[in-house]
Amino acid sequence: METTKLPPTSPSSPTTGFSVPSAEKVDGFPRRSMRRARQRRSHSSSQFRYQSSQVELTPLPLLKDAPVAELHDLFCKKLQQCCVLFDFLDCVADLKGKEIKRAALNELVESVATSRGVLIEPLYPEAIKMISVNIFRTLPPSENPEFDPEEDEPTLEASWPHLQLVYEFFLRFLESPDFQPSMAKRYVDQKFVLQLLELFDSEDPREREYLKTILHRVYGKLLGLRAYIRKQINNIFLRFIYETEHFNGVAELLEILGSIINGFALPLKSEHKQFLVRVLIPLHTAKSLSIFHAQLAYCVVQFMEKDATVTEYIIRGLLKYWPKTCTQKEVMFLGEIEEILDVIEPSQFIRVQEPLFKQIAACISSPHFQVAERALYFWNNEYILSLIEENCQVILPLVFATLYRVSKEHWNQTIVSLIYNVLKTFMEMNSKLFDDLTASYKVEKQKELKRERERTELWRGLEEKQERRLQTLGEASRNQRNLLERGEPSQPSSPQTALPEQPDTDLSGASSTT
Amino acid sequence: MEAVKLMREIKTIYEQERNYLPKETGLSLIESTTENDNRGISAKCRDAKVEDLWSLTNFFGYSTQTFVLAVNLLDRFLAMMKVQPKHLACISISCLHIATKAVEEECNVSSTNELIRISQCKFTVSDLARMEKIISEKLNFELKTITALTFLHLYHRITLSDTSARKEALNLDKLEVQLKACLCRMAFSKAKPSILALSLLTQEIEAMQAGDLLEMASHVQRHLKIADAELLHWRGLVAKCMTDYSSPECSKPDHKKLVWIVSRRTAQSLQTSHYSVPELPTIPEDCWDESESEDSCEDLSSGEESLSSSLGSDAEGPYFPLHFRCQSNKYHHTS
Repeated sequence: METTKLPPTSPSSPTTGFSVPSAEKVDGFPRRSMRRARQRRSHSSSQFRYQSSQVELTPLPLLKDAPVAELHDLFCKKLQQCCVLFDFLDCVADLKGKEIKRAALNELVESVATSRGVLIEPLYPEAIKMISVNIFRTLPPSENPEFDPEEDEPTLEASWPHLQLVYEFFLRFLESPDFQPSMAKRYVDQKFVLQLLELFDSEDPREREYLKTILHRVYGKLLGLRAYIRKQINNIFLRFIYETEHFNGVAELLEILGSIINGFALPLKSEHKQFLVRVLIPLHTAKSLSIFHAQLAYCVVQFMEKDATVTEYIIRGLLKYWPKTCTQKEVMFLGEIEEILDVIEPSQFIRVQEPLFKQIAACISSPHFQVAERALYFWNNEYILSLIEENCQVILPLVFATLYRVSKEHWNQTIVSLIYNVLKTFMEMNSKLFDDLTASYKVEKQKELKRERERTELWRGLEEKQERRLQTLGEASRNQRNLLERGEPSQPSSPQTALPEQPDTDLSGASSTT
Repeated sequence: MEAVKLMREIKTIYEQERNYLPKETGLSLIESTTENDNRGISAKCRDAKVEDLWSLTNFFGYSTQTFVLAVNLLDRFLAMMKVQPKHLACISISCLHIATKAVEEECNVSSTNELIRISQCKFTVSDLARMEKIISEKLNFELKTITALTFLHLYHRITLSDTSARKEALNLDKLEVQLKACLCRMAFSKAKPSILALSLLTQEIEAMQAGDLLEMASHVQRHLKIADAELLHWRGLVAKCMTDYSSPECSKPDHKKLVWIVSRRTAQSLQTSHYSVPELPTIPEDCWDESESEDSCEDLSSGEESLSSSLGSDAEGPYFPLHFRCQSNKYHHTS
């Protein structure tokens, strides 16, 4: 097996030639754990751009010691200092410079958070520039090409010691009582916001957490950007659903959307309804649904609470995208359906009950016990039970046959107990309806058995016919041979043998023997 | 003649039925007991337990005969013994099990473990076995009882033996189900099985408007020397019971009685599934925030088709109505 060698990297970081001993390979490929243990390749650095002349930072006086007249100037200078970037993949390079920047950032954060009158107009462009320079970068490709967000540890951003302070600064900046949206909107423009949104794809959850809060504030304060932000989030989601199926920040974006949906004005604009049907519902088809399902379900339920008329679209949409092969997703869908039913209006329920309970019946008969359990557990929900009770005449026939059949056939004892509970609940609701359905179920069963018997009879009859025919032909050919052996001319027409034209067995032809 | 033979059989059985009636004094005691009295069983308690027995009969696919026998044993036992409510569950399940073993084929009888598990009872298999022994002893092992069902079957056969052309015969299954509904009410435990069955029969005959069978029914009544007044009394009660039973209203089930056990994994996912309110505060949508939007965001697809196909009449137009740019001045700023 060839050894895996890393491509040459920048001179400041060490090269590692990593060869995997054959014992650690499975089917000729290195084990997953071995791949993770490889050292990070420095060309994956997201932060460090190789600068030909590294700027030397000189420590500036502290902000808190500065006289008022010089405060803003010093603030500006510190901002400019913080525009210098450092390489964090090399742990020992530029320690002094890194410390100076870190201290400066810290001071800036403190100053914006505590003092008043710090944010004057000239500072806005400098601040935004510093932020842009630090955070906007091309995110590196994932170290682990098969990164599974549920199982694997995310790759953390190396330059977090500085980056975190920059984000903190940005947040305090936005939240400062001196913050003027009218001034900021000149610099926090659409281009800025677009780049901000792209950062949500970062693998580092801490970074996404900051971005989430920051974008939330930006959306809240800069009204002119709201439509744009919504549009761009739509694009990200649509790309995620239909093109790439990869984006790390779906959950965070959905959380922001949750707070936006919560604040929708009534009547609901058609733009928002379109978003629900075109983006949120199809989002349920993503493979990595489990990462953001809780936030997605929250958004969906919020929509319902705002405007009950969207209920039908939601439920029909979910039924359309119901998972057919992934049971983990099916359990999630059932959980979401329960949350939806918890807030549904009875008039809306009536419109969706038939297709919904047909699907629930299908889930109950699923051989995967978790799916069946989750579906049966709906009957433990008091509100759902009251909805079922009001529409018992429609719902019971839909699930009855399934419940009965599964109670006899299912391998899992817990499921059988739950089915008993459900059947008993139905019995108590309306015993006549239940008895009628039992009777018709039995009649159906009898008919089925009768059909089975008739079918077996039919085949047996056919086989007997076949036997007899073969017998007759056998006799006829034996007679023929006897006659030939005795040397007598064969009698073409004799009373007992009426030979068919073709001696081959041909049951479809006219048979004269029976 | 077939009918004559049947009539003779009915007469013989009729003479034995009183051996299998629960003691009237015992039944009256139960009826007079209030629900919260811990010293005895109330009628409501008994009715609830009988309904449970019916659920179990249905669930396990046992015949109506098993159920009717079980109820008969239960009533007879309760009428002769003073029982505490906490033992009622064990007694009723024991009756059911005895009845199952007496009536059903051995292969169809479910194990006692299964019975206890499904009925969510708290006693053990040995408790059940002991109780069965006690009940059997107290009832002198008279397990092949004569019940209303016996009579119902005989009456039904008589109607079938009627040679005159009938368009449709009386539906025995329907009668059985009606009998079941009656037995769930304590009031009918006092009825003589022959009379109860006859009441059900005549009530169904009238519902079917099969006048010719009425003749037969009254013939049976005279044959058994059943008083008119008695028959009318029970027919009245049966009619009322049928009205209640057939009402299309759905009643709210008593939710707290059932125990819902799920597997560990499902229980875990149930706990975590309820998403807590997110930490981000709500951002209210202002009706005039769109008017401040920059013109450059107008590069949206104006050609996008409207949602009318999927939204029906709720669609308000294309994705981003172009006309709002002109209308932005028209938005009135509400305070």
